[in-house]
Amino acid sequence: MNASLKKKTLSILILAGILSLLPMLTSQGYILTLMFNLFLYMTLSQSWNILGGYAGQVNVGFAVLFGTGAMITRFLWIGGIPFLAAYLIGGIFTLILGLFIGAITFLLKGPYFSIATLAMAMIARITIGNVFPRASSLPPSLLKTFTLVHCYYLSLITALAAFVVIYWVTRSRIGFGMKALREDEEGASALGVSPFRMKMTAACISSFFGGLAGGMYSYFYGSFYWHSPFDLIWCFEPILITFIGGAGTILGPVVGSLFFVCIEELFVLTAGEIGVVIFGIAFILIVLFLPQGVVGAVQERFGDPLKRGLGIGGFFRKNLHLGKGGQHG
Amino acid sequence: MISRQFILQLLAYGIANGALYGLGAIGLSLVYGIMGYLNIAHGVFVMLGAYASFYFFRVWGVDPFLSLPLTAFSLFIFGSILYLLLFARLVRLPEVDKVKMSLLLTFGLLVILPNAATFLWTADTRSVTTAYAGKTLQLGSIYIPYVDLATVILAVLVISAFRFLLTKTYFGKSIRAVRSQADAAALSGVGVNRIYMISFGIGTALAAAAGAVVSMKGFNPLIGFSWTNKALVVVILAGMGSINGIFAGGFLLGVVESLGVLFVGSMYKDVVGLVLFVLILILRPQGLFGVKRAA
Repeated sequence: MNASLKKKTLSILILAGILSLLPMLTSQGYILTLMFNLFLYMTLSQSWNILGGYAGQVNVGFAVLFGTGAMITRFLWIGGIPFLAAYLIGGIFTLILGLFIGAITFLLKGPYFSIATLAMAMIARITIGNVFPRASSLPPSLLKTFTLVHCYYLSLITALAAFVVIYWVTRSRIGFGMKALREDEEGASALGVSPFRMKMTAACISSFFGGLAGGMYSYFYGSFYWHSPFDLIWCFEPILITFIGGAGTILGPVVGSLFFVCIEELFVLTAGEIGVVIFGIAFILIVLFLPQGVVGAVQERFGDPLKRGLGIGGFFRKNLHLGKGGQHG
Repeated sequence: MISRQFILQLLAYGIANGALYGLGAIGLSLVYGIMGYLNIAHGVFVMLGAYASFYFFRVWGVDPFLSLPLTAFSLFIFGSILYLLLFARLVRLPEVDKVKMSLLLTFGLLVILPNAATFLWTADTRSVTTAYAGKTLQLGSIYIPYVDLATVILAVLVISAFRFLLTKTYFGKSIRAVRSQADAAALSGVGVNRIYMISFGIGTALAAAAGAVVSMKGFNPLIGFSWTNKALVVVILAGMGSINGIFAGGFLLGVVESLGVLFVGSMYKDVVGLVLFVLILILRPQGLFGVKRAA
């Protein structure tokens, strides 16, 4: 186990090294932008994954966190605080807001939690749209400092940090508590796992990185409507990506993001809606036939020494026999 | 200064809107409250109903109220197909898993259908303008648009018919029988899948009733999200599976929204309803008119 952990750490380091050299190999804006989007979606879906995939609390209101991160970072940055500080404060502020929302919404269980978070997202979207109807534009002095290479490194480091932190947490005692909670809330609490504490811990990590993803967005876009990071699309994307890749697996969001960016690029010029429709259909098929997502299915077929638990969908598959065609064929 | 007349007018507006919310929610009450499928795409069905009414009006010039049987039938077919494709396989699941799975599947629909609608019919806001569109009826000092009056009548008719179907007919009894014990119902000769397919179709068709009215008030592919929320608010307010509560829940939401507008302004109309929703979920999850179920 220890050796394989070392191997994994090494491969992550090598991958990070290669990725960090990319801007020196190419200065093409297209590729850097593509990679930025990839890392943004990875951060977004990975931070959704800890609460939705590992702890089993399906948050349909992620845009609240993403938007708050974007907004706070932007406010502070324009207000004269150095970007990196604004970025971290944005994340921490989102974390506090996440705890606050969690304290209210975790009173509800299962689907009720989900619909309450959806309602929260709509409340935030309408309120922000009314209070700040205008677009936020960077002043020229800040715009001058903008380079794609900075964006690239910011997103790369954040995505890696999210990956490592969430990997580490989910392999720890807390992570097992979260998975136990997901499989059987009452059973887990009978064994001494406090559901509320587990959910709050997951919400903490989820909202911190969700806020950072928002900060990334506000760094990349020179000008956006204050309400755009609160749009419902930011609620949907992390769920689609994580489920397609594999909810409750660490590689799921990575694979899902790759797939998502590819589909987006394919359809961006012709019809953006069709890309989303295809992604939605893929989501439904995955939920029905490969409930553990692509990563889960691959792991099941070829085995994975570090595989833990069944994944959120394994539970369904076990009880449903839905995945026959996909998994044992 | 707020006059008595102004408040009465707001109340009338709230009641008309409440009737529309009741219409929008009644199908969800069947699918979620009685069949046990949490359908967060229900508002999207309302949107599809509005487009169906719009095209019947544009192509054949039929009034949305008159074309209602046709729109309802088209949505019935659509809902039945969706049921066979997606939801039929969930019938025999335990309650909790059924709700979770249907939440995920309808989430997929909530992503797919509005985008498909935008692609097919563009994102423009449209509406059906009938001959009586702007006309109002004067009652004392308040004005009631004919469309609103017709909406209230339609809501009373549809909800009463639905109530009759569910409580007084063999079909209604079999729906509830399948819900409480699918296997036992099948053994007593109830065609589980047929009954559920038809009731899911009816649930979808009922959204068309709201869609017909919405088509006269302006709509676009994105209204589905807020209609899902409205329908959920009313169903939760009413209490799971309570049909009488649907009336009360719809009117309550309509009136609270109208009066809320007095205090926070019309752009926060939806927020008032949503805040009420979250509060009800947390403080009284069994609904205002529902009975608490044993867990």
